[in-house]
Amino acid sequence: MSHPNPTDDPGRDLNMSGIDPGGIDLGGIDLGRVWTGVAAQVWQRHPGRLERLTARLLRSPGLARALLTTPSLLLPWLISTAVVFSAGGLVSLAGGEPMVWMLAPGVAAVGIAYAYGPGVDPAWELACSMPVSERMVLLVRGVAVFAVNAFLGVTISAISYLVTTHGMHVAADLTAQTVAVTFAWLIPMTAISAFTLAVAVAARSASAGAMAGVIAWGLTVIATRVSTGDFTAAVTDSRTYLPYLVVAACATAVIVYTTRTPRGTPQ
Amino acid sequence: MNIELTGVTRTFGRNRAVDGVSLTAGPGVLGLLGPNGAGKTSLLRMLATVLPPSSGEVLLLDKDPKRTAERRDIRRRLGYLPQNLGYYPAFTVVEFIEYFALLKEVPSARVPKAVAAAVERVDLGAKAKARLRTLSGGMLRRVGIAQAIVNDPDLLLLDEPTAGLDPEQRVGFRVLLRSLGETSTVVVSTHLVEDVGAACSEVALMDNGHIVFRGTPSELVARGEGHGLGDAPLERGYSAVLQAARASTVAAGDAA
Repeated sequence: MSHPNPTDDPGRDLNMSGIDPGGIDLGGIDLGRVWTGVAAQVWQRHPGRLERLTARLLRSPGLARALLTTPSLLLPWLISTAVVFSAGGLVSLAGGEPMVWMLAPGVAAVGIAYAYGPGVDPAWELACSMPVSERMVLLVRGVAVFAVNAFLGVTISAISYLVTTHGMHVAADLTAQTVAVTFAWLIPMTAISAFTLAVAVAARSASAGAMAGVIAWGLTVIATRVSTGDFTAAVTDSRTYLPYLVVAACATAVIVYTTRTPRGTPQ
Repeated sequence: MNIELTGVTRTFGRNRAVDGVSLTAGPGVLGLLGPNGAGKTSLLRMLATVLPPSSGEVLLLDKDPKRTAERRDIRRRLGYLPQNLGYYPAFTVVEFIEYFALLKEVPSARVPKAVAAAVERVDLGAKAKARLRTLSGGMLRRVGIAQAIVNDPDLLLLDEPTAGLDPEQRVGFRVLLRSLGETSTVVVSTHLVEDVGAACSEVALMDNGHIVFRGTPSELVARGEGHGLGDAPLERGYSAVLQAARASTVAAGDAA
């Protein structure tokens, strides 16, 4: 529903004559204050259910707004995630290859890259002067990307596993297998996302970060395929977990260094 | 005092943007004048807690911005208009101001009225629902001012606030400044000496990272009597003070 513009109200001219609304006192009625109250009601933006819930969870309406509306990423990110997971799931069902695992790190990396950074947020300078810190915004956005992708990954992995084994008798093993599958792609996803974010903030460009992340993941998949002969080794070979964690740690260090408040040259 | 700076220095590599500045300010409007590169924006960014000093002590609103909790408290009571206001083109005027009200942790129940009051104070009521990408440069500047004052700040920092405003809007803005300065400390960085003369109770003139003059606008005018370049009395005072400061720097360099 669109709100009427209160400036269309002819009564506005009675008291709103310029930059200083002041307040014309007519028999004790402060029309300036009355007008402000009316404008507040008419202009007020009513947050949706998701935003209210997020604000309650985070105990910060500002953080909830930053997460959900700025820079208006949520919907495209959710759609792209859902599309890629769905496509991966279908391919897995058809060919038996766990494509969801292979696609998930790249998807998360792109989501993270476009979620944060001085090159992404045009109001970065202002954001740096706010009580709700930009690091907190980053943290919440990162957690949101992982949480939603993890949820989708678990769900699709479970469905994929159940269907490809052609039977209900595997139900007992399902939970353990699902967790194992999700864990397998969560580690590379963490590494690639951290790497992507590090490139994005260092280059001050989300696109550069996203491209670097996708290329890095592609090279990782090819390299593990060449060395092991297994196309899915990048997510299934447990020997790769340690290098992934090292990459994640190094990338985190780069992010912390790049996003620090500059200290200047000590005197 | 809402601002207490002691020997504050800020360097970028070998360049000393701010060099040993000491400054105190209470309620009122302080105009920060100076040529390009004088260090005004760096000083303002330090006051906005965006940039920490390389050395020296900063106390804002009787709190130390080096401490996380105190910095957060300062930021709740701070309004800041950067020189280059970045904005989200798809946001409406109200959405943008409301967003920063929320980030400033204005209590949710107070946000709608605070936003409406800020919008009206900068005379943008007619554009309240307009997307930012449709606004002129002057209107965007007023949006920036509105987000800066939405939390009724005790310390308001404005970097070139009148850039892009037409003469009528500048007159209105000066009225707003004087009104804000009755209860808050307002620091306005500007090139426009006429804004300082009309709206500021005090002036600080910066050159080469130093504050070379601090006084009232009339005291600055007095410094320009009989010499100095400029068409208006304040401009002559500005030029005279700058010339004197640079001459003393050269003399000190020669003596060394």
